[in-house]
Amino acid sequence: MIRSLFSFCLNVFFISFLTSQNYTVSGYIKDGANGETLLGANVYVKSDKNKNTASNNYGFYSISLPAGEYTLVYTYLGFQDEEKKILLDVDQKINIDLKSGVLLKEIVVEANTSLDQVENTSMGRIELSTETIKKMPALLGEVDVLKALQLLPGVSAADEGSAGFYVRGGGADQNLLLLDEAPVYNSGHMLGFFSIFNSDAIKNTTLIKGNMPANYGGRISSVIDIQMKEGNDKKISAEGGIGLIASRFTIQGPIEEEKTSFIVSGRRTYLLDLAQPFIKKTNFAGTNYYFYDLNAKVNHRFSDRDRLYISGYFGRDILNYNSTDRGFNLNMPYGNTTLTARWNHVMNSKLFMNTTAIYNGYNFKLSGDQDLFSFRLNNGVKDYQAKFDFDYYPRPGRTIRFGASVIHHQFTPNIIQGKSGEVTFTNDYKPKYGVESAIYYQDELKLSTVITVNVGLRLSRFDQVGPYTLNDRTYRSLQPIKTFIAPEPRLFGTFLLNPSTSLKAGFSLNEQYAHLVSNSASTLPTDVWVPSSTLVNPQRGLQWSVGWFKSLHEGMYNLSIETFYKILKNQIDYRESYTSNQSLEIEKAFVFGKGAAYGGEFFLQKSKGRMTGWLGYTYTRSWRSFDDIENGRKFPASFEKPHDLEIVWNFEASKKWELGAVFVYSTGRPFTPLRSVYYIDQELVTRYAPRNSARYQDYHRLDLSANYTPHPNSLRKVKSTWSFAIYNVYNRRNPFFINYDFKSDLASGTAKATAYKVSLFPIIPSITWNFKWN
Amino acid sequence: MTLPAHIKFSMPWFHFAGILCALIFFQSCETEFLPQNVNLDPELVVEGYIESGDNALPPYVLLTRSKPFFTALSANQLDSLFVHQADVTIDDGSNKVKLSEICFNNLPPSSQKQLAASLGVNPDSVKVNICVYIDLSGQIKPQENHSYHLNINSKGKVVTAVTTIPKYIPLDSIWWREAPGKPIDTLLQLYARIQDTKGVKNFYRYFCSINSGGFKTPFNSVYDDALIDGLPFEFRLIKPREEGEKFDNPSFGLFHTGDSIAIKWSSIDESHYNFWNTLEFNKGNQGPFSTYTTINSNIQGGLGVWGGYSSKVYKLKVKR
Repeated sequence: MIRSLFSFCLNVFFISFLTSQNYTVSGYIKDGANGETLLGANVYVKSDKNKNTASNNYGFYSISLPAGEYTLVYTYLGFQDEEKKILLDVDQKINIDLKSGVLLKEIVVEANTSLDQVENTSMGRIELSTETIKKMPALLGEVDVLKALQLLPGVSAADEGSAGFYVRGGGADQNLLLLDEAPVYNSGHMLGFFSIFNSDAIKNTTLIKGNMPANYGGRISSVIDIQMKEGNDKKISAEGGIGLIASRFTIQGPIEEEKTSFIVSGRRTYLLDLAQPFIKKTNFAGTNYYFYDLNAKVNHRFSDRDRLYISGYFGRDILNYNSTDRGFNLNMPYGNTTLTARWNHVMNSKLFMNTTAIYNGYNFKLSGDQDLFSFRLNNGVKDYQAKFDFDYYPRPGRTIRFGASVIHHQFTPNIIQGKSGEVTFTNDYKPKYGVESAIYYQDELKLSTVITVNVGLRLSRFDQVGPYTLNDRTYRSLQPIKTFIAPEPRLFGTFLLNPSTSLKAGFSLNEQYAHLVSNSASTLPTDVWVPSSTLVNPQRGLQWSVGWFKSLHEGMYNLSIETFYKILKNQIDYRESYTSNQSLEIEKAFVFGKGAAYGGEFFLQKSKGRMTGWLGYTYTRSWRSFDDIENGRKFPASFEKPHDLEIVWNFEASKKWELGAVFVYSTGRPFTPLRSVYYIDQELVTRYAPRNSARYQDYHRLDLSANYTPHPNSLRKVKSTWSFAIYNVYNRRNPFFINYDFKSDLASGTAKATAYKVSLFPIIPSITWNFKWN
Repeated sequence: MTLPAHIKFSMPWFHFAGILCALIFFQSCETEFLPQNVNLDPELVVEGYIESGDNALPPYVLLTRSKPFFTALSANQLDSLFVHQADVTIDDGSNKVKLSEICFNNLPPSSQKQLAASLGVNPDSVKVNICVYIDLSGQIKPQENHSYHLNINSKGKVVTAVTTIPKYIPLDSIWWREAPGKPIDTLLQLYARIQDTKGVKNFYRYFCSINSGGFKTPFNSVYDDALIDGLPFEFRLIKPREEGEKFDNPSFGLFHTGDSIAIKWSSIDESHYNFWNTLEFNKGNQGPFSTYTTINSNIQGGLGVWGGYSSKVYKLKVKR
């Protein structure tokens, strides 16, 4: 079946290719200042805007037109439009360097990106540039792309301060986080309070809230596609910052001008490093905690046709805990590693190929010892992936994408090894292996000047494979144990009501073969990913959505209203009497059920001018039901916040001052309250009411920021900026969790119970010094 | 086996995370509030044990009701939690024995002392009229490898449970070691060795009595043998916190030299283990990064536990 589908794709491609009568203009669109490729830049024929295309994820564009004279217009938000007159009588390669519109902001005619948002078939897709994210107030000054995403409609934060998030009523493990195409399995540092993405190394973040195009797969809720910067290919530059808890440094530049460039970026916290002189004098000498990230990327342009990118990420959280008096020590390192090698090859002016090889891993280790006892625990995920993606541009208004991918997964469960005296013991669990493969075909086609459709099919397959021993049968390496195959159709359409208004609708079906279940409201480093297997079926998500999109004032404002309905199958949770028992295979603690989510999103965005920002409002309901939890009673998902409002405001007051504000309001999330208390062993024991049958207080918060550039017109090589931020300006005590305190002595006849709402984040001011060196 | 108790409890990363949070975020804030009461009927709570071995108490059952969240309860209100005049019977397969209800206030002083000791409380401080259903006649002779059915009928409300007294797996040996890390003159740690039986699921619980006080359990009192099946295994026994004793990291779990202690080591069945394991996990799993765990009760129609023990008591002096 896979073979026949692939040959179908090839046939479509070649037929389209052979029947083409046009000439093609193709090339790359880049930022003229640093050579960074621009993703999603628009190209259109000035005399007929319907003849248009957009650059792909690598900045490549291709537009085929009949012979003739044209003026092509290249546009990208924040950059000056570039016009190019061409006489098209032969295929042409035109690389375009766009100039930043920042210096000429008052007079520049900005890109028509808003109109593009009306016309294209994407729904629930939002791009955030790092520049935009850096203008927002940040907790403790740490700019965080994932926390910025939480301010978009349809996305809600896991907990206050957490970088974890939920999209359109989907679970935390249902978001596909890609860093330069490498999946990231655990995106949090410091129990999830900070994400692993160092903003200085990030170029662009794209969120797809649903209706994923067919080239994405493996998760059922959303895609967050994060692209690392490529490195300035014109001159060496550096930037960095010193904040309250961490410092950053990035250097980038050409190795060979406009041919080979690199970027290296690092970040490290020093929270407890500063306290070391004091800690050394205590019983806890040697105790420390920090995290760091290292991003690196190099790219080389062999020719106009071939380009190679190699990028990687390495980050760790390190916790060392020592109690010298009691001879106890504990060591807990964990983190992600990714390595991506990509080869872009322009096969011809209409066909672009990207070949990718990826390694990514997440590893958690915990070891400790005291006296005669020692133990080690580790778990993790390790993937090797190969991917082939083709973009084919047969004519204006049609883009075909097709490709294939294969991933070899290794899921290591909690493997524990211990020693007590002379005796060693282990739970003897073995990793589970899986091979996840997919082919896809996707055709975006303008049927008329007002109707565009995007038809896609992804065919995915997951094999749980050996080496593994199951029911006394030993499976050798790569030998299938259990196989799942699923077609994943995707269909989106746009109907243009007028040049600035469109209606869109979409349907998508997604399968998910890797799962993470958390016993916590947010995910923790200790949470373990498991594959689909004989014990766990794939999760399945079906989503329907309808939206109305409007561009106002020549694209100054974007307005959209979207609604969605999701059906979630094979959802997973821990059984109610779950305990963290390392001697029980984690899948044995799972229960399986179903869920659904529905809602509406309102989004008004102003992306041009001195004042920018947005207002987003989301109404979402999301429930789950498990036969083994309260006999299948439907209960709200623990992250369900029916009303969710965000206002993001940014104002360029002067060349020196830039002001920002964020206000968020949401319904409090559900929690499971106490039903009653009772005595066992003369102590009070808690009995819980039905799951998630109460809610915390509503959540709201205001953050403010100001970025100050003392010498904006300075010609000096080093420019510095001060960022001031105040988190939770009016010191709202938003509840983080509820704590019960029982004091009771049954025999003596006293019993006292107290419930506390605990809030973690009071008003928090911060200051960060940033610099740039050119 | 779940991790040994001292490591489970000492595994400080959650606590450490709390410290980190506090350091980063300057302060957390607790605001007292009164939770909305969930208007559901009270449930019957059973706490009953049947034990074989040294100085085993006759089988007994405490029968109480659950109570909605409260702020404070007086002795009278606590009295009212006890369920009286219920029909409580134990069936060992050949005998059905009805238990008698006795209440603290109705007992002669000598019997009060005995009851208080068996419940691990000081008889002089008892202000609540504790009532127990007990096999006063001694008709039930608890034995290893036997199952015992408990049937309770309280005003038409029927509650049942079954437990097994498993075969006793003894401690091979028990000995003192210097405190880990820097030795402390006045403190010692207690180690024990067990030879687990291979191919059989074993579950254990232990209690400790200091200077003839009542038996108390440490924070994590139950073990399974999943990781040590059939192995000879050495492990540390933790001293439970005594009444009013504050948590003190340096001396946590260590015994004071000069004290006389008794360790009661028991074998229990799986459902009995599951009860204590989920109860103890639930107690320890409070806080920002946790959700609730339902306590796994073996009581049909109510809450609590009907637990069988096969036990032996080891008495020793804390000394080098």
